[in-house]
Amino acid sequence: MTELGPGALAGLRVLDLTGHRAQFCARLLGDMGADVIKIEPPAGDDARRIGPFLDDLPHHDRSLFFWFYNLNKRSLTLDLKRSRGADIFLQLARSADVVIESFAAGTMDQLGLGWDILHRENPALVLCSIAPFGQTGSYRDFVADDTVLSALGGMLYVNGFPNHAPVRPFGLQAYHSSAYFGAIAVMLALLTRDRTANGQWIDLSMQEATAAAVEHVAGGYFERNEAEPRRGTLHWSRFFRVGKCRDGYIMHCTLGDWTSLIEWVKSDGKAADLDDPNYQQPMYRYLMAEHVFEVLDDWVKDYPRDELLERAQLLRQPYATVRPPEALFDDEQLIERGYFVEIEHPELNRKFRYPGAPYLFNGTPWRVTRRPPLVGEHSGEILRDELAMAPEAIAVLAAEGVI
Amino acid sequence: MCAMPLDGVRILDFTWVVAGPVATRILGDHGAQVVKVERKDPPPMGNRKLGLQCDLHRSKLSVALNMQHPRGVELARRLAAMSDIVMDNFSARVMRMWGMDYESLTAVKPDIICISMSGLGHTGPRSSYVSYGPTLQALTGYTHLMAEPDGTPAGYGYSYADMCGGYSGALAALVALWHRRRTGKGQFVDLSQFEAVASVIGPALLDISVNGRTQSAPGYNSQEGPSAPHGVYRCRPLDTDDDRWLAISVRTGTDWRRFVVAIGSPEWASDPKFRTLYLRMQNSAELDAHVSRWTIEHSAEEAMAILQRAGIAAGVVENGIDLCARDPQLQERGFWPEVSTKKGPPTHVTGIPFKLSGVSGEVTRIAPEVGEDFDYVLGELLGLGKSEREELVAEGAVWP
Repeated sequence: MTELGPGALAGLRVLDLTGHRAQFCARLLGDMGADVIKIEPPAGDDARRIGPFLDDLPHHDRSLFFWFYNLNKRSLTLDLKRSRGADIFLQLARSADVVIESFAAGTMDQLGLGWDILHRENPALVLCSIAPFGQTGSYRDFVADDTVLSALGGMLYVNGFPNHAPVRPFGLQAYHSSAYFGAIAVMLALLTRDRTANGQWIDLSMQEATAAAVEHVAGGYFERNEAEPRRGTLHWSRFFRVGKCRDGYIMHCTLGDWTSLIEWVKSDGKAADLDDPNYQQPMYRYLMAEHVFEVLDDWVKDYPRDELLERAQLLRQPYATVRPPEALFDDEQLIERGYFVEIEHPELNRKFRYPGAPYLFNGTPWRVTRRPPLVGEHSGEILRDELAMAPEAIAVLAAEGVI
Repeated sequence: MCAMPLDGVRILDFTWVVAGPVATRILGDHGAQVVKVERKDPPPMGNRKLGLQCDLHRSKLSVALNMQHPRGVELARRLAAMSDIVMDNFSARVMRMWGMDYESLTAVKPDIICISMSGLGHTGPRSSYVSYGPTLQALTGYTHLMAEPDGTPAGYGYSYADMCGGYSGALAALVALWHRRRTGKGQFVDLSQFEAVASVIGPALLDISVNGRTQSAPGYNSQEGPSAPHGVYRCRPLDTDDDRWLAISVRTGTDWRRFVVAIGSPEWASDPKFRTLYLRMQNSAELDAHVSRWTIEHSAEEAMAILQRAGIAAGVVENGIDLCARDPQLQERGFWPEVSTKKGPPTHVTGIPFKLSGVSGEVTRIAPEVGEDFDYVLGELLGLGKSEREELVAEGAVWP
């Protein structure tokens, strides 16, 4: 990428009020060029207290958890519970395009910043409310973390082995699904605004976003009135299962060209009955999945996993190795595509490698314009530039603890 | 039909399996006209009229074009010329081979947007790798990081990679559309599903690159700050089903005090070994055993109600029946809308997890059978008369 034009969302202003559950949403928009102002309470966002921390030293400017989700944002501290703080927020909202919040349902109203007020002050504004159970319904005031959401969203139950406790999915998937849907909803509202000139209020339920990410569970119920069981590492489609090689695990897949796979297994003398023509039918492999994988497990057990992967991919068999995430940093594919980006933290006089763009836009690149902000790093500049506030007035707000 | 956010947007959809169809389905649910181009005999994935396959392909039209036939390709190019966005999830060579890649399509539609959602991206030494969601999860570290306490891999039962890929694809399409409306310029988006799913383990990747720490499966340790008790606890059977669990998350000192009162202030809770969060984490095995002795006396639903009344994060580990038939919240919010079918009784589908207050999306149409919209696409969209359509069918360029 030689020419860096403006990002696709350049010119959009997003006010990000979210805490640690939904902060990925505004980052997705910031990565595409939107100007995202993260508004934190004066003591700093709760995500700043979540580890891991740089060199394991807990500090609000050293949380890697915060860093990842807050790249490409500016930080303004503001105490919304005080009327002066809420008033400054309203002034900013008048010229903003989007507000994203993840408070408990009803909080924005209590702060005097509910939809009716925001819409009156700025009819073009989009408000995206991301709450654990949405803004309505009998669970509206229930509390939840990612684990509880994965439970109530039907995601937790289907992981792990039958007759064992369900195993928790890795990686805050309830939060990430919600953030993706939030960003999608914001874009839909902005595109609609082109036609209607009006903003909209988005009511997003994290429970629903979680349920939507395990579609086979609902599919199983509406198709067969059944609860999808836990199947260990056997994927619900019954075409994938983890197998053990000599030096680690691999992911089998029986959706590739069956003839070439079985020729290979046969040449190793391990095909057992899998050369029976019935297995040519995917449906038969589906029905016989447990047996098929038992035979294939026996076949791979003496292979080194990397050799197995190379040979499988040469035959266009969709096999994979089960790798630890450390392996990504040496992955030639990611390196070649420039996936990891070096980001300078001048305040520490250090550079760090961050995971980067999952998509390459040939016209409007994803890019990093800012490292994650220090607490309140841009408070002065935002109040001065956006609200034309005098230095004395800013100093008073700081002294009173509003910013 | 009432107005929807993407009214007037047309998408030519070459995607298949899961990730791509998820992306185009989201766009279709919001009013885009999605014309799905497929083979006459796609691999059997299941019944399209209900359940998962219906969810993946609903809100779309289907036309079966023979892309091995020059006139099939010509029809596809004519459709692209009248579309806003072309989406696929093939490896790089497929669309190029058909002359349906971005460069070629700009000749027929200069401001076209092409979103390609391949497994590992269009460039790089492994761009030709064949992959599916579950294999991408294995390559990125998800499978490794989900294990039983003894380290045995334990998942996944589903394919989160497909969802991440799908959501990223839908978002990319909307962002590119926004940009085009402002500048008149289309573009090509090379989305790697592999990178999309790697991106959402960001904090773990930073812990590796910044602190050099090797990651291990966190099991039931909270991934959002220390908590204890934190995990799933077995509850009283429901009829004969003893696979009933409650997820509980107790984080702060205040949470802990409320939790203790809510479960009836048992004597063990005042043991000094549970006094602080640090001690509760240190002694979590013993703590979990105590908590389980309380939960097993209650149904998961009762236990959730008791704890939620006290402001404690707790939720039934819902199975498919709980989720789709019993959960009152999802019912009240209408998350499983009923959609009519042409022949049989109406069916339920997975809803849209967000509502827009004015112009919102809606599921109005269940999935089409392969080629179901032959007449509409060839007749109305392409303006081909009956004899021309018959000729194309006879030549094998398109299947009716």
